[in-house]
Parts: sequence; C-alpha cells; structure tokens
Amino acid sequence: MQNRVISRKDLASFVDDLIKTKSAGEVIGIKAQGNKFNFGPLASAAELRLDYDISLLPPKKYFFPQTETVLKYEVDKTPKVEAVAAEKPLCIIGVHPFDIRGLLLFDAVYGGKDPDPNYFLKRNNAVIIGVDCLSPNPKAFAASMGTNVTEEGFDLMLTDLGGDYFVTVGTSKGHNLINKAKTKEAGAPDLEKRDKVRKEAEKKYQVSLKMKKEEIPALLDATWESKVFKDRSETCFSCGSCVMVCPTCVCFDVQDEMALSLKGGERYRRWDGCMLTEFASVASGENFREHKEQRFRHRMYRKGKYLVERYKYLGCVGCGRCASACLAEIASPAETYNLLKEAK
Amino acid sequence: MKPRVAFFDFTGCEGCQLEVLNFNLEIVDLIGAIDIVEFREASSDHSDDYDIAFIEGSQTTDRDVERVQKIREKAKILVALGACSCTGGVNALKNRFSMEENLKVVYGDSAKLYSTIPTRPTSAYVKVDVHLHGCPPNRNEVISLVKCLLSGKKFEQCHNPVCVECKLAENICAFERGEFCLGPITRGGCNAVCVTGGRKCWGCRALVDEPNVNSEKEILKKYGLTMDDMMLQFKLFNGALEVSK
Repeated sequence: MQNRVISRKDLASFVDDLIKTKSAGEVIGIKAQGNKFNFGPLASAAELRLDYDISLLPPKKYFFPQTETVLKYEVDKTPKVEAVAAEKPLCIIGVHPFDIRGLLLFDAVYGGKDPDPNYFLKRNNAVIIGVDCLSPNPKAFAASMGTNVTEEGFDLMLTDLGGDYFVTVGTSKGHNLINKAKTKEAGAPDLEKRDKVRKEAEKKYQVSLKMKKEEIPALLDATWESKVFKDRSETCFSCGSCVMVCPTCVCFDVQDEMALSLKGGERYRRWDGCMLTEFASVASGENFREHKEQRFRHRMYRKGKYLVERYKYLGCVGCGRCASACLAEIASPAETYNLLKEAK
Repeated sequence: MKPRVAFFDFTGCEGCQLEVLNFNLEIVDLIGAIDIVEFREASSDHSDDYDIAFIEGSQTTDRDVERVQKIREKAKILVALGACSCTGGVNALKNRFSMEENLKVVYGDSAKLYSTIPTRPTSAYVKVDVHLHGCPPNRNEVISLVKCLLSGKKFEQCHNPVCVECKLAENICAFERGEFCLGPITRGGCNAVCVTGGRKCWGCRALVDEPNVNSEKEILKKYGLTMDDMMLQFKLFNGALEVSK
C-alpha cells in the first residue's frame, strides 16, 4: 500500500472530517489532561496532542473498560440469563507503537480458542491511527523492548517529520480512510526522513535494559531466590497503581450485583491486578501470594517469562507508565531486571 | 418477613444518616426491602424491636457506652456506620487534650454539669459485625451491605487502597499536584471521590489491611514533608487508632 505525506493543516481537516461524519465510528484522541495526557472523545482536531509521552491510562480501556457488565439475570421460577456485549465502532487517534504492541498482546490473550466477545466486539471494528513517540517519558524503555516502532497493529501510523506527517498505511481500511484526505504520495526521501526521525527518537530513551530482551526469561529462571525481590518490594504499598495503568495487564475480577428487590441483577467485571493483597485469595481463605515480595516477584515473572512462554509476547512494552505511577519508585521492570542481572 | 432496621445516632454531625436519606430513587427500593423502625432524621417512630442496628457517631460519654451496649444486646447484627463510629473520626481530635480542658472550652462555667470520656471507635465497647467506613460512608456500599444482609451473602470490605479507584477514575496523582495524599494507605471503596473532585485523600476510611506506613514516610521525605505533617493529616480521622499514638 502506498504511504502518504500529509500537511498539519490537512491532517486537522482529515480528523475534523472523521469527527463530523463519524465514518470510522466515534473519534477518540489523545488530549491534554492537566499537565498530563489521556485518551478521550475528540471534539475537534485542535484538541489532539500528538506530541505526548504517555497517556494516564492506555487505550485498552476502550476494548476492556475499567468496569463492564457481562451478563444480566433474573431469578424467577425459570431463571433468565442474558449475556451483555455491545459493538461500538471506534476510531482511536494517537496510539503509540508500544501501546499498539500492548493491544496485540491483548488480542492473543483474549483471543485463541474461546475469544472474549466483549473485547472483540469493540476491538474488531476499531480503527487505530497510531503516532510514533518522539518525546518518550523519562521512565520509558520501549527502545530496549523493541516496541518503540511497530510494523503491525495499525491502520495508519503518523510520524511527525517537523512540517508534515508521514503516513504509513497499514491496512486497506487505513488506505480507504486516508484516500479521502488531501495528501501526496510518499517518496523515497520521505521514507528516509521518517526512519531518521524514528532513529533519533530511539536515542531519547533514558532507561535501558542492560541485556537483550530475549535474555529475560533465562535470567528469571536463574534468579527465583534472588534477594532483589525482597529488597526492592520493601517499600511497596501494594497500592496496585502499577497494574492499573499497565497496557498489558489483562486481569479482571468478576462480581454479581443483585438488585435490592433480589429478583435479579447483573454480573460485572472490573480491572484487578496481581500486586493487590487480595488478588490471590481463594474461597477457602487461603492467599497463595500473601507477602508483597511474592506479589512483586510474580509480576516480574509474569511480564518476563510466563507470557512469553504462553503467547510469545513479552508482557512489558516499556511504556514507563508503572514507573511513573509508582510512588515508591520500584515498579519499573527494566530496573528490576537490570538489578537481577547485576546481582547474579 | 422484612428485616427490621434501626439507625442510632451518637456523637457526630449526622451526615451519615443524611447520606442514607440522599439515596434518591434507591431509598424507595430500600424502604421496600427493609422495615426502618428507628431513624431520628427521617421519622418520629421509636422501637426496641430490631434485627439490624446501624450505629452512627462515636461514644463520648459513659451514658453513650451503656446505650450502645444495650443496642448490641438487642441487635442481631450491628453495623458501624461512618468514620466516627468506625475509627472515632474527627471526634478523636479531643483526645489530644485533657477531658477537663475539653469540657471547659466547650461549656465554660457550666463544665461541672457535664462529663466526657476520650473518643474510641464503637468496636472498643461492643462487637461490631460490619464497618462501613467513610465520612460520609459511600452510599453504594450501604446499599451493597443491605443486599448482602437480605440475601445472606458475606459483605466484603474493599481491600484495595484508594489508589486503585483513583487510577480507574483516570486522576492525576495528588502527589504530582504537590499534595500529600493518604490514598496509598487508606482503604478504598469510595471511588476516590475526594481526589476525583480535585482534592486529596484525608484517610477517612481508615487504614488498609496491610498499610506500608514506612513507605509513606519515605515518600514524605521525597516530597519535602515531615512525619509531623503526615500525623497532623492522619489524625484528623484516625486519632483514636493505635498507630496515631
């Protein structure tokens, strides 16, 4: 598919047109929220902040909302149970490559033999317009995780060339969309410029892994008993901030909520995470990861080993959200893996 | 038969009762599900025959202690409703001074006509079956408890710190706004309403099961605050707790 180049002005018109016509669904974009950034419904292209570092929450919230009703029930003589899952066409503008990688991991986890309908009804039709991250968060290490760029998982990918945007076309859906905008064909010099911009952005990452990412599973295999886990988790609040803001945390809790009439109710799911004290509590009262050190270690293993073994994807995309949200400054997987390597 | 429910007020601002009355449409369902036999803010009826007693406020006189003990004898289930009953709440501020001094400041020359005791949580005097934390308590939690009581399900406290609900609400961390927030060690269940409203957490829902107080102190240092700063804020709602001493 032919890549394009679009001026800032024409990109704004393109976005405003998407908002006006809703041709690709409701338009969501990256916007300022206080001195931070977050995804939200876009009222106009002027709100877009494609120069951002990270959003407060990753875009997964549009496919896997914080709280979501999954079924409704009535308890009568013959009980009625109805699954609840709704389609919602969305066009999300400004998704960074590492967050796209996060979504690809989600696709693998929620897909497979028994795909999650609530997730895929929203995800399948969504248009993803990405943007290369040129000003990474100080805690980010996506370059080390190989997630600072992506060649898949988007319909269109924007790269800020200074004056114009390079538009990498990823799918025919993306091709059809951008065809409606005023663009010019991207030539070899444009492509060269895009790659140069990407290379420069890669140098801006301040945190890096002191090993190849492929070495992480073996490193973890050799360090289960390491003191690093205890030392580093000493100041952990078990507050769950790291797992709540993570683009690759897939876990949820399920609860039934009866109506006051006790004649029916609904079942909902809500984000949950392995760093919370009750996460591994089971019905008998047993908690099989009772200590914060165990929870801390589990999170590192899950990201660096368990997910790789099961889905081939590393469970961390190096976005830096957890490290930014962690008051105790212990959440960064890169820092822990580096410490494990040093201590070995 | 519908369970008979009574609300009793002790020392407090009665805002917890008001919060229950503020249920809007849900109050209709609530009244349909339970018989409210005593509720001073809403009804002039009195009854000594009840299954479930909600205790609002803290016990701050010997007479209060006797009264709550009598309620305990009659109630099958006793619920501490709100911060004053759960932790002593703001009433515990007076524990910093001598009781004589408190009486003198409040009643002046008539001080000798009154008596008062240090504020303690209701659980210091009687067995409390359920704590509904908060100043005021979260209405959804109150309704959730009633549903549990009606259906025989165990009521589960929120075990997560306020940070979880804060992240779900997509708030900017209060620390990043330059505030000192008790959210990381305070029990959630409030939907982080204060931080969402632009403030910080004052710890009205008491401590989580495993508060990392040492870590909170570390953070104080990072943000240029002292232990005194933290205790001053912490004692606003939790002055009667052991950790405050």
